[in-house]
Amino acid sequence: MTSYRYIGRRVPRIDARDKVTGRTVYSTDRYSENMLRARVLRSSLPHAKIIRLDVSRARELPGVEAVLTHEDIPGHNGFGIVTPNWPVLCVDRVRYRGDALALVAARDEETAEEALSLIEVEYEPLPIIETPEEALREDAPLIHEGGNIQHSMDIPPKGDVEKGLAESDIVIEETYSTQFMEHAYLETEGGVAIYDEEEGVITVWCGDQYAFRDQLQIARSLDWDPLKIRVIGSPTGGAFGGKDEISVQIHLALLAYYTKKPVRLHWSREESIVAGPKRHAMKTTFRIGMGNDGKLKAIDVKVVANTGAYDTIAGPVLNLSLESSPGPYKYPQSRFRGISVYTNNAMGGEFRGFGAAQVVFGLEQELDKLAERLGMDPIEFRLLNAVEEGDISALGHRLQTSVGIKETLEAARKTDLWRDREKIKRDLNAAARYKKFGVGVASEWHAVGLGVGLPDFSNIIVEIHEGGEIILRTGAIEIGQGNLTAYAQMLAEALGCDIEKIKVIHGDTFESPDSGTVTASRSILINGNAILDAVKTLQPKLIEIAADKFGIPGDELEYSDGRVSFRSDPDRTLTLAELADHAGSSGVPIKVTGTAVFATSDKDFGDGLPHNYYTYITQIALVGVDTGTGEVEVLKVISLPEMGKAINVDGVEGQCEGAVVMGQGYTLYENVVVEKGEFKTTGFATYILPTALDVPEQETVIVEKFEKSGPFGAKGVGEAPTVPVTPAIVNAIYDAVRVRFKKLPITPEAVLEKMRDLAGTEER
Amino acid sequence: MKKITLKITINGRKHTLRIDPNLRLLDLLRDELRLTGTKEGCGIGECGACTVILDGRAVNACLILAGQCNGREVVTIEGLTGKDDLHPLQQAFIDHGAVQCGFCTPGMIMSAAALLDQNPTPTEEDIREAISGNLCRCTGYTQIVEAIQAVADDN
Repeated sequence: MTSYRYIGRRVPRIDARDKVTGRTVYSTDRYSENMLRARVLRSSLPHAKIIRLDVSRARELPGVEAVLTHEDIPGHNGFGIVTPNWPVLCVDRVRYRGDALALVAARDEETAEEALSLIEVEYEPLPIIETPEEALREDAPLIHEGGNIQHSMDIPPKGDVEKGLAESDIVIEETYSTQFMEHAYLETEGGVAIYDEEEGVITVWCGDQYAFRDQLQIARSLDWDPLKIRVIGSPTGGAFGGKDEISVQIHLALLAYYTKKPVRLHWSREESIVAGPKRHAMKTTFRIGMGNDGKLKAIDVKVVANTGAYDTIAGPVLNLSLESSPGPYKYPQSRFRGISVYTNNAMGGEFRGFGAAQVVFGLEQELDKLAERLGMDPIEFRLLNAVEEGDISALGHRLQTSVGIKETLEAARKTDLWRDREKIKRDLNAAARYKKFGVGVASEWHAVGLGVGLPDFSNIIVEIHEGGEIILRTGAIEIGQGNLTAYAQMLAEALGCDIEKIKVIHGDTFESPDSGTVTASRSILINGNAILDAVKTLQPKLIEIAADKFGIPGDELEYSDGRVSFRSDPDRTLTLAELADHAGSSGVPIKVTGTAVFATSDKDFGDGLPHNYYTYITQIALVGVDTGTGEVEVLKVISLPEMGKAINVDGVEGQCEGAVVMGQGYTLYENVVVEKGEFKTTGFATYILPTALDVPEQETVIVEKFEKSGPFGAKGVGEAPTVPVTPAIVNAIYDAVRVRFKKLPITPEAVLEKMRDLAGTEER
Repeated sequence: MKKITLKITINGRKHTLRIDPNLRLLDLLRDELRLTGTKEGCGIGECGACTVILDGRAVNACLILAGQCNGREVVTIEGLTGKDDLHPLQQAFIDHGAVQCGFCTPGMIMSAAALLDQNPTPTEEDIREAISGNLCRCTGYTQIVEAIQAVADDN
């Protein structure tokens, strides 16, 4: 086994010191002397025609420097990762409460606020569509001209699912529904923009997930040369998918352009909840057939997504719901269909787990029900049906990269919590008679990368400067996940140098190359491969420099561990610092580019479907249910991820622990309640996040399985642990009190109601 | 608006300032004094990102007017740092991997510092209680609690 100095170890984050001292400057920490404060006028109705928009009184208010409407947008009035139909500023129609109508920049917050109140808007209300069911009615008003169906996907069926179901010994069918979920990053959307008239450059600081896409979207709306737009998107105070799309960037650029002064815009928490994208609310119907031998025979899945007012990236989210819906199991026959539907209730968008959390919640309960029908152990049942590398998936593509689902299940089976679960429950129950305890398990495969047909690439630059400082430039954004540290680890390992010598310049369209977006659990695999590619180019270059310095042919030299040495005399060496000094003095600085492109699947169903890499994961939950109050307490969660090779063990544990708590919130508390287009949850008093008092004890068991095409064998782990924790908790609740849930979140009231229903049934 | 005079000690340094009476302590720190280590996450005392220590107690700087702090002493994350040395809590947060996006980190550390000042040997439950007003969306709190516990264990 290869022994590494940095890879697979616990390496402290390279950005931690600045973060614990408060020295890290986030986009919303930028202030300057003559900086204007911006505010956005949002729609006061969820669905309406705009009859009149009059900003004249606001423009006259002293201290106001600009009031902008759609008429002030030089280029395309829209943005969107896939389809740019989300208006920068609405023209004649609003489609949800977060829609923007006008922008104000003023000398201070109070003046900006007052200016907003002076803008006159006359609306003609339109019927409000709350649900996909309403939107799909024949007489439903159209939210967009093309109709209320935003996207539909019907994956080419594998075999004949009806025949498969007819031939099954046991067939079950159920529909599950999930709520809108808020990202709730601690740093709400915000930033600063400055227009340098002399250079013709607009600079926007805004915590995001992909500065280069923001650059293009800003350029498109301002009709500006993208190379004259500088976006600095890193670091950001949490993103979880919610900052991949535009929020303040175009508004800031417009205001800076018109006022020619620095402008600052920072959304309030309420604005972030109302205007920003959410995890899509979805309904998923499963029909699953199985033989009496416990082997799955057929699966038929239908998903209906509530995408809200506009597109952003709803198509790929729905597609990934379908791809995730069978789980990492074998089915000879399958069919997957879905539609994504416009409504006036909020905005659906990208969220860590990307369409998978909604469907796996249902699937993994269905599997438990099937196992129970045969009296099989839930882990044995999953093992019996789990896929292996080289298998044809439920979707029909070949699994040509590492598949570790069986290993995660086998590791789960060996944990004390699983093995001794009956005794653990008995002991807990003896100490708390009014509570019932349960243990549940669930698994998932989670796609890594954007998928087939999409531009899934990375470029990075490595430079070695005089004195031996190594600069790694990447467009990747540090959103909290620790990728910068992982990149430094991989570069230090590959070069054989000290990690302290490496400085990472990140997320800046003028100072770093385009490494693609930080999403889809992709940035370790793709940027790691780009780093290794750079090192492959760099080593012969270093030998060339040494050959020049020593005046001998390059083939008499070799590179290892941060130095070039003579093959014949290993003690005669040049260090990286000496090599850089020599290169610098000859006027040729050491600078190389590395690139990487994702290998793709052998099938192409369109829009990124399917994927070629997956994280595999099993999670086990222990819960206590208070039979008096219905309150569910999550006592312990064990995550067992297979993400190829773990680059930073601390990082993997941190990702799992944070994801588990996010999944716990989704399961039990979190719900963006929107009624008739109006937001009932507008802050953390009504949108309940788990606190340090609510969270379970956690354990992470890293299940490593080398992936040959990943850097040092790595894939990615950012999203997967968010997903099966939900059905693991729900299966544990069933184990405790014998009731199942088709709807999230599972409130104490819902638990009590189900328990009463069950008691009633048993009495009858 | 008529300005008022504020005498305040921030991170050991005495300031006499003319301020608007409706200025929040948070804005005084961030906007006027550029002590941007203190963050704003909600503006209504629900997230704890703006936690500072006021006369020895952890408070939300978004809920306090600067004018209320006349004659009082405020410590922010910047004041916790010695010249080159880190506060033991800061070192422990680094060592335990308790930092991810880092936006909640200053407020979290200030709540923990106030706890350890009042109770140098807290139980795990005390620690969880003390930071229960500080939301973190990245870490799941495990490594944060471990970091604080490690400093408490050294006391």
